[in-house]
Amino acid sequence: MTTVQQTKRKLLSEDWYRHTASGVELLVSDCNTCGHRWFPPRSACSSCASEDLTRTHTGARGIAYASSKVHVGGAPWPKEYVLSYIDIDGVRVLMHTNSDQALTPDTPVTIALGHIGTDNATELWSYIAHPVGKDIESPEATS
Amino acid sequence: MRNVFVAGAAVAPFGKYKDSTPAELGGTSALELMQSVGVSPDRVDTGFVGSVYGGSLIAQRVLQRVGISGQPIFSVENACASGGSAVNLAFQAIASGIADSAIVVGVDQLSTFGGGALPLTTADVETAQGVIMPATYAMRAQRYLHQAGAEPMVLDRISVKNRGNGAHNPRAHFQKSITLDDVAQSRRVADPLKLLHCCPNSDGAAALFLCSEDFGRDLAVDLVRVRASVVRSGQFHTSYRDMTWPDITERTARAAYEMAGITAADLDVVELHDAFAIAELLHAEALGLTERWKAHVAVTAGEFDRDGRVAVSPSGGLLSRGHPVGASGVSQLCEMYWQITGTAGDLQVPGASVALTHTTGGGIFGVDNGACSVHVLAAD
Ligand SMILES: [Zn+2]
Repeated sequence: MTTVQQTKRKLLSEDWYRHTASGVELLVSDCNTCGHRWFPPRSACSSCASEDLTRTHTGARGIAYASSKVHVGGAPWPKEYVLSYIDIDGVRVLMHTNSDQALTPDTPVTIALGHIGTDNATELWSYIAHPVGKDIESPEATS
Repeated sequence: MRNVFVAGAAVAPFGKYKDSTPAELGGTSALELMQSVGVSPDRVDTGFVGSVYGGSLIAQRVLQRVGISGQPIFSVENACASGGSAVNLAFQAIASGIADSAIVVGVDQLSTFGGGALPLTTADVETAQGVIMPATYAMRAQRYLHQAGAEPMVLDRISVKNRGNGAHNPRAHFQKSITLDDVAQSRRVADPLKLLHCCPNSDGAAALFLCSEDFGRDLAVDLVRVRASVVRSGQFHTSYRDMTWPDITERTARAAYEMAGITAADLDVVELHDAFAIAELLHAEALGLTERWKAHVAVTAGEFDRDGRVAVSPSGGLLSRGHPVGASGVSQLCEMYWQITGTAGDLQVPGASVALTHTTGGGIFGVDNGACSVHVLAAD
């Protein structure tokens, strides 16, 4: 007997990343005037106010700068979850992390899409860090 | 620029006051202040009220209760630095000659949010991904301990020190000492931070009276000079920020030392923004109280104890006193006014003549903190 899943999925911040064969790449803006790189992408540079920006993307690999296992989660987040600051091609991005414990600083990670919380019956998905060596759950496989 | 003086201080004890309102809490401390300074409402030229969650026109609602109505008054919101920012605006008004006297109140009532972490601003990239303030400080702590080669137990020591100081403070939310074991046994909040590494969400208010030298001459109170009053904002970027070095604190402190004509070595007593135990290490280094990566050594050696090289948070800090966010910066200045006038009672740091207060706050993406205020008070 099969049960029909009623769970819906919502992609958070989906304008800020793209899904490729190598994983999830973050969309960024490079300022052609002063050289600053911005995530999320911006229409004007927050350093020099230039509007001469190029939209580009990072790779799908980064390094954990710092990490913590949070034990006081409340809806829509899980009761416990790991957050990490991930350094990835010039930007530092906070993301949920597929790990039971905080990552040691400088742990290499890959970026993929993952389930980060549940708002009523809707699964919230966003970019998520996977310490290298861990299997990555493919969103296609669970669709 | 004219000299500016503190002529009085009042703190309504911090704690849980669910049946009160921010306007009532602020009004209580304002009334106590006006009575202690001995001025009538019509002699107050201007007023500033710092608050984050007090609501629209909190300044009017607080100051109307003590007859300050009709003058230019302003509500100031700068996250945890709201109170310190309100003091800075009052300082500017008197230093510039626009006003001769000003009342400053800081107030917030956090018990209305229930327990847990404070609500952060919405429409923030990191809030949308699930960050809360304890997690931000936890990650700073993890990185600091990693890079400094420090033992996690130093965080426990900070909580024990500050809660021990707060045990003597009748205005503190927590007036009870704790042990290293208590900290270690407390529940995990965000690794490596436990509950007793975090300040409580409190209700409370504090009030400060500032005036010019001429105005102060007629008052029957001790005057303490504000040698520096500085506010800075966080510098926004999304690249690799060094989260173990709160540059906003360093920039604000540097400007304050220059304005005061002192160095960190001249300080006898400091109240800094220890909303989480790790913050004492980060800010002590950025304020120049100790060398980079050495604050954990200083804490362990007792250098920041009430009778140490420089007393850090002899009032108990936010860890003991609680953190009604808008009130914190004003209450720190109240504690320092009492230290310098030698009226701090059981909290007195012997011979305290140069004091610094520091509040920083604002959990928004892309800056280490949104706003920071630093004040220097001195006896002369
Ligand atoms: Zn630019």
